[in-house]
Amino acid sequence: MTGGVVVTGYGVFTAFGWGEKALRDGVFTGTQVFAPSRRFDPAPFRTPMTAAAAGDPELVEVLVGCADDAVDMAGLAAVQAAVLLGSAGDWKAVTRFSRGQPYRPGESIPGVLAGVLGDRLGLRGPRLAFTNACVASATALIHGWRLIAAGRQDVALCAGAYLVEEENMAKFDSGRALARDGVIRPFSSGRSGLLLGDGVAAIVLESEEHASRRGAQVLARMTGFGVASDAYHIAKPHPEGRGITSAVRQALRRAGVSDVDYVNAHGTGTPLNDGAETNGLRAALGGDTPVSSTKSTTGHMLEAAGAVEFVVSLLALQDGVLPPTAGYLTPDPACDLDYVTEGPRRTAPRRVLSLNAAFGGMNTAILLEKP
Amino acid sequence: MITVARTECVEAEPVPGFIESAFNPLAYRAAADCLRGREFDGSRLAVIVTSLAGDSTTTGLASRLLVGGQVHNAILFMQATANAVLGYLSREFDLSGPLLSVSTVDDDPLDTADLLLTDPELDAVLLLTVELAADERIAAAYRLLGRTPPTHDGASALLLERDSK
Repeated sequence: MTGGVVVTGYGVFTAFGWGEKALRDGVFTGTQVFAPSRRFDPAPFRTPMTAAAAGDPELVEVLVGCADDAVDMAGLAAVQAAVLLGSAGDWKAVTRFSRGQPYRPGESIPGVLAGVLGDRLGLRGPRLAFTNACVASATALIHGWRLIAAGRQDVALCAGAYLVEEENMAKFDSGRALARDGVIRPFSSGRSGLLLGDGVAAIVLESEEHASRRGAQVLARMTGFGVASDAYHIAKPHPEGRGITSAVRQALRRAGVSDVDYVNAHGTGTPLNDGAETNGLRAALGGDTPVSSTKSTTGHMLEAAGAVEFVVSLLALQDGVLPPTAGYLTPDPACDLDYVTEGPRRTAPRRVLSLNAAFGGMNTAILLEKP
Repeated sequence: MITVARTECVEAEPVPGFIESAFNPLAYRAAADCLRGREFDGSRLAVIVTSLAGDSTTTGLASRLLVGGQVHNAILFMQATANAVLGYLSREFDLSGPLLSVSTVDDDPLDTADLLLTDPELDAVLLLTVELAADERIAAAYRLLGRTPPTHDGASALLLERDSK
């Protein structure tokens, strides 16, 4: 392949609602919309708070809606495209089955859900669901890059999907991972955990030549990525952020650059993640790069985090505004980077990095640059 | 792409930290049998776990606890995704490269392995396939796909390298 991999369209849904305007109005103003769950009885859990959109939408419908938006924005008529989804499937189908209620068995299985998405959009190409938890949709994006760079596909629709439901609420509650005070406070003293949030995003990646041939508007270039593991523990991150450092350095190396202007961090607000991520980032980039965690506004969208935060990073690049880290109280000595806590910061980033980490010590870094 | 090692297993000893489900012990056993005694650079080896339905035993058990109003076991949270056994493997064998888990109906996982081997930063891919005997929910999904559900637990592993020729 000559040229690179570019972004030509996206669609997004979060607790703030549908589309980029809702995302801009919520995430880029540092608005927190955590509220007691209305989708299920939250009484048994450590906290009732989640970041959920109104109502109780069906995952597959939101996913198809975001994918339609992405394809429309890209002006894509192609039917040959890979469909790469980061998702654990539709958890509500699992709960309905356990309750003896009517359910759609296929959509509870990630690979089938990826097939449903491909069928609904009429896309023919490889269909894969990545199920590696909080790096799943970042892995889908990286896989899309690999397919295009290797010349095996011209276009990849990469997506991530998670909507707040009670199966994961119960799991994260049992793992004592939820924030006791009902607010996510990434990198702050007094942070006590994460909160779940709605997130679905779909992104069209394509080869630069393909985009150029059809006259598509290029929104950004995906110039590098890194994937690395901590090789440390099944649940805890490496305290020095070994895998994060490695993933970030790999992304810089692949892009042929030595620095970035902004990092959208994983920043879960858990005591262990944020210190490890700080150490990993400092080792790779030094201490001066602006960093924020937008999970402080969206909540943790699990498998969808990478895709939604890719879109947030893209908007930061396009708009010249760095989204803030909301919920920040006072500094934690273990977290000593520039966390953009004062509110949205106007700047002119040329390249931004979207970082994710997951259970099992998995880490991804994706580098986006202005076209 | 060449195959340098291959293993299959249908039962496995328990692995510390994992309970109830055969998924993680089978994945670990297949992987360990393939890797043990071999020399490799763990930073240049990727691991892929491929499973259409994943760990349906853990999923089903956790869901039944939820709807039964019972307290969740934190270990079920820990092992809820294949990340846990991948993390365990990565620590045991110092694997610091990419760790993936995928679910697909029609795609050949060998294509994913082959794609990873186009990356100059990787030398080898360990491809693990794990499927558990289908429970009622999974069997219903297989029937919708027009396929026969798996009737027993099983795992296999292939250690793949780029063909230098």
